[in-house]
Amino acid sequence: MTPTTESAPHRAPGPAPAIETTGLSHCWDSEHSPITFPDLTLPAGEHLFLHGPSGSGKSTFLSLLSGMLSPSTGGIGILGTPIHQLNAGDRDRFRADHIGVIFQQFNLVPYLSAEANVTLPCRLSASRRDATDPDPTREAHRLLTALAIPKDCWPRSVTRLSIGQQQRIAAARALIGGPEIILADEPTSALDSDNRDRFLDLLLTLAEERNTSVLFVSHDRSLAQHFTHQVRLTEPEL
Amino acid sequence: MRAQLAFSLAAASLWYRRRVLGLVCLTLTLSVTLLLGIQYFRTEVKHSFTSTISDTDLIIGARSGQLNLLLYTVFHMGDATNNIRWSTFQELRKDARIDWLIPISLGDSYRGFRVVGTDDAFLEHFRFGQGQPLELADGRWFDKVFDVVLGAGVAREQGHGVGDSIVLSHGGGRTSFSNHDDTPFRVTGVLANTGTPVDRAVYISLAGIEAMHVGWESGVAIPGRTLTPEQAEGRDFTPDAITAAFAGLKRKLLTFRVQRELNQYAGEPLSAILPGVALSELWRLMSQFERALLGITGFVVVTSLIGLIAVLLTLQAQRTHEISILRATGASPGLIAALYLIECVALALVACLLAVALGAVAVSALSPWLQEAYGLQTRLRPLNTVEWSLLGAVPLAALLVALLPAASAWRKSRALGLGDSGEE
Repeated sequence: MTPTTESAPHRAPGPAPAIETTGLSHCWDSEHSPITFPDLTLPAGEHLFLHGPSGSGKSTFLSLLSGMLSPSTGGIGILGTPIHQLNAGDRDRFRADHIGVIFQQFNLVPYLSAEANVTLPCRLSASRRDATDPDPTREAHRLLTALAIPKDCWPRSVTRLSIGQQQRIAAARALIGGPEIILADEPTSALDSDNRDRFLDLLLTLAEERNTSVLFVSHDRSLAQHFTHQVRLTEPEL
Repeated sequence: MRAQLAFSLAAASLWYRRRVLGLVCLTLTLSVTLLLGIQYFRTEVKHSFTSTISDTDLIIGARSGQLNLLLYTVFHMGDATNNIRWSTFQELRKDARIDWLIPISLGDSYRGFRVVGTDDAFLEHFRFGQGQPLELADGRWFDKVFDVVLGAGVAREQGHGVGDSIVLSHGGGRTSFSNHDDTPFRVTGVLANTGTPVDRAVYISLAGIEAMHVGWESGVAIPGRTLTPEQAEGRDFTPDAITAAFAGLKRKLLTFRVQRELNQYAGEPLSAILPGVALSELWRLMSQFERALLGITGFVVVTSLIGLIAVLLTLQAQRTHEISILRATGASPGLIAALYLIECVALALVACLLAVALGAVAVSALSPWLQEAYGLQTRLRPLNTVEWSLLGAVPLAALLVALLPAASAWRKSRALGLGDSGEE
């Protein structure tokens, strides 16, 4: 994989960067050649647009950053913590405390209400629960209101909501308890253009308020304009 | 906090999948009901069984095995091998160690029910259950030659009451072609229900037995030689022989000595048995079969548990999105595995609760019918230790089998990437 840096963020002095990777590569199995990733530094509180066609290893990269996978080589520093040195259990706890995640679709636990889906991270992480103001339920209500989810949907099952509503609830879940980083994996690709722009606006505005860094992954280059930092991943050369 | 989260997630997940899981839970409920029910009735049958005779120290009959003697005297099953001479019975009456004797004379039947020839001692001394005496629900005990007293079951099933006239049949069997038509008996009393074989017999005097067999010396009635009730009045009908006798001793300590002496009786070959010992030997024989039945039911429960696991494993395929969300939010693979364990054990517990409720309903509903059809007394009672442990074994077994889907979920969720639903 050849990284093409268009306006890669530079290491900023002061607090530890939100994300810092060096010499990162991952090998799924011995039959495939390892995927290598560009070195990357994202200062705390800033947003990054990661662009790349499908197959360029975006999901693998996010799995590494979230600690779901361990890198074959290289190091990952999240908020100054070298998470590649942590064991699996500590990485799970670290993810619960510091990282919010939004997927492309199927973001919600089908048997929980909208509200319970939003407060889920607060039940897995004491620090995120303590960070809510004044408690998880009321912060969830505030976020759902800000994300324009009608009040009558809150206690209801999430399976009948529109995709746009589901994605906004997922954003509320990622934002609750103010994690330092949000990893968003193509969260707008299932939305129409109106919904997409609205979603991105709301997500970035609420993230700014909480000083949360957003790493936004998409194949849609038109979204890049919303971000100051951009990184492009390209398909590996054969 | 983790445990609380796991339980509340598991509860929500079970409720979400209640339709399909309800069905497997029903299967499990039915099989646990079967298991519990069989164990329950086993205990009840044993209780009913050991209650058939009480306070009788010895049963004395012609030389035979103790099971045979017990079966034909107490349970009215099978036939006597031989009789006891009346003179021998008189000798026994003289024995100072014997407190009371009930003569039993068998051989005839009434519509499939045994006719028992006996005397007043039967009403006075026979005990069942925990020493309960016989009582007359209606009328009085027989005192004339052609009087008959009915067991509660006979009166109920045949619809007879005091004052009815009935014709007894020669020999056993439900349909007999040789009836004692010339000597009809009149019902003078009906015994109260006992839940024992006593209910399923009719009782006449020893003289009655003799009287209806006058003219039957060759095995069939010879016309003109049988008696009419009028002719029987005032005649002496001392029997030559009886089938068996129940005995109560003055001092229980002497039971074994008296038994030994009777078994070596010089006058004729006799067998004396201890009803309690014989009952437990009979029970041992029957319990082989019951234990096999219980074993089979155990396998039924295991089968339904395997069915439950199969369903849980199938559902696992549908749960990949949900698992991947939980993992991305920071849930450990352990939590995911715990969800499966909790769900499976919770289903087993629900099935057990339902089974107890269903069992209670079934016992209440079936016990009148069992009493009617089989003379079996069953009561609704709290579960005993064996039943509790059987019931407790079900969630435990569920926990064990749930290790399979739990381990598979643990393994899969560890290898999951972010947002990866595990589908290639």
